[in-house]
Amino acid sequence: MRSVYQKFHRRWQRPFGKLVLLAAAVGLFMAGTVRLQAQMKENPKMMQMIKKMKQKAVAKDYVRAHMKVKNPKKLLGGPIEVTVTQNSGGVFVALPDFRRLDPRIFGTPEMPRAFEGTPGITGLPVFLREVENGQFTKMKKKSPFGDKYIVMANGKLSLKAVDATATDAATTEDQLQFRASWQDKAGNTYEVRANKVAAHGLEFPTFGGVATNVILHGFTGLGTPLMPSEFTYVAFWGMGQVLKNGKVVDGPRLVHGMLTEYVRTEGYKLGFDKDVTPTRLQFHLMVAPFKPDMEHMSYMPAPVKTGFKLPNGMELPFWHVMFENLQISANRK
Amino acid sequence: MKKIALFVLSALMLWVAVVAFAAPGKSKTGHSKVVHITMTNTLKFNPASDTIRVGQTVEWRNTSLLVHTVTCDPKKAAKPEHVALPEGAEPFDSGNMDPDATFRHTFTVPGVYKYFCIPHEAAGMVGEIVVLPAK
Ligand SMILES: [Cu+2]
Repeated sequence: MRSVYQKFHRRWQRPFGKLVLLAAAVGLFMAGTVRLQAQMKENPKMMQMIKKMKQKAVAKDYVRAHMKVKNPKKLLGGPIEVTVTQNSGGVFVALPDFRRLDPRIFGTPEMPRAFEGTPGITGLPVFLREVENGQFTKMKKKSPFGDKYIVMANGKLSLKAVDATATDAATTEDQLQFRASWQDKAGNTYEVRANKVAAHGLEFPTFGGVATNVILHGFTGLGTPLMPSEFTYVAFWGMGQVLKNGKVVDGPRLVHGMLTEYVRTEGYKLGFDKDVTPTRLQFHLMVAPFKPDMEHMSYMPAPVKTGFKLPNGMELPFWHVMFENLQISANRK
Repeated sequence: MKKIALFVLSALMLWVAVVAFAAPGKSKTGHSKVVHITMTNTLKFNPASDTIRVGQTVEWRNTSLLVHTVTCDPKKAAKPEHVALPEGAEPFDSGNMDPDATFRHTFTVPGVYKYFCIPHEAAGMVGEIVVLPAK
């Protein structure tokens, strides 16, 4: 569904022009260590490196080969219709944190892996990794992918998705109806809605917007390597709105959701690949602090206006929310 | 006089020891008392380990905002080390417990019970009850 991106393109890219592109090259994917960002702004070499890395996203040519296809192939065996709901119980809201780096995914300083692409979206540049005793240890910046979280009340989730189109393309028959909400201590309700799917990706494929029964993240190069490799029963990439107390506070925004095997460990720490629990499931919602950059088939940083203030007074610049009290059903249409 | 004081003191100590031994866990007056365990936002059973007597009842209360379960059933565990059931004891499972919900189970077979919360087993939400035989 190219039109979704095009609309986006018109709305966001033109008014800001070169300024936005500069920000894209300079900034990273969330408000974090200001010093580091300032450093990068002043360092044209670093900017050049990020630009280069964005161009090098490994799946870019694959996406290019698909994004103009007008009659994409259908899923083998016919469309799959999936419903995922949560009707009661709280949610886990991820807070900015330093992601520990899995050596299996990120390699070693001598032989680094997973560094190409927009930092945080598909890769992690080596200069953003801390090194100790010849090993990568953790990210230098905070990201939505870490061990810190808070619990919020009254989590509600309703996902209805149809995976019909197999591959990325210019059009799609994949369908999405997504709504999720939760409440803070003060009784404010936060909500994310999405019903338009991204028929093709930019740096990595979206399988027509809805994907079923596929491994994502980690070693796959499909989505951020900051999440472990995880078998995904259903995932979607779409555009939607962010609401607070019933009012739209941000949008259109990239909205990504996925039902996966369990990737949290003791104390709810985000695990490495070796820690995944295949027989337990969780649903992740991500409203990433990025906007699509169509011209460069890439992403630019753009903190989400969540309306939720962190204890330090800063607005949480993303929603990364986990739902774990799930009812799931699926069938071939 | 000193001897009497010493006798009274040792009798008192003995009484305290007997009461403490007769009713491990939270109960002080006898093992018919219900033992309370809470379930938290930090994915813990609190206390995570407790010792009771056969015939005693444990009540779990979900004091968190999340949905939890109290599950002691080897068939439902993701990892075998998270569950233990003495021979002859029946598996039990609270089912989904919404915030503030309670679940009670009376233990009739002595031994070591390891139990878990289904949604948060992998995140370390596991507990243990040691059931001592009747006196
Ligand atoms: Cu639990």
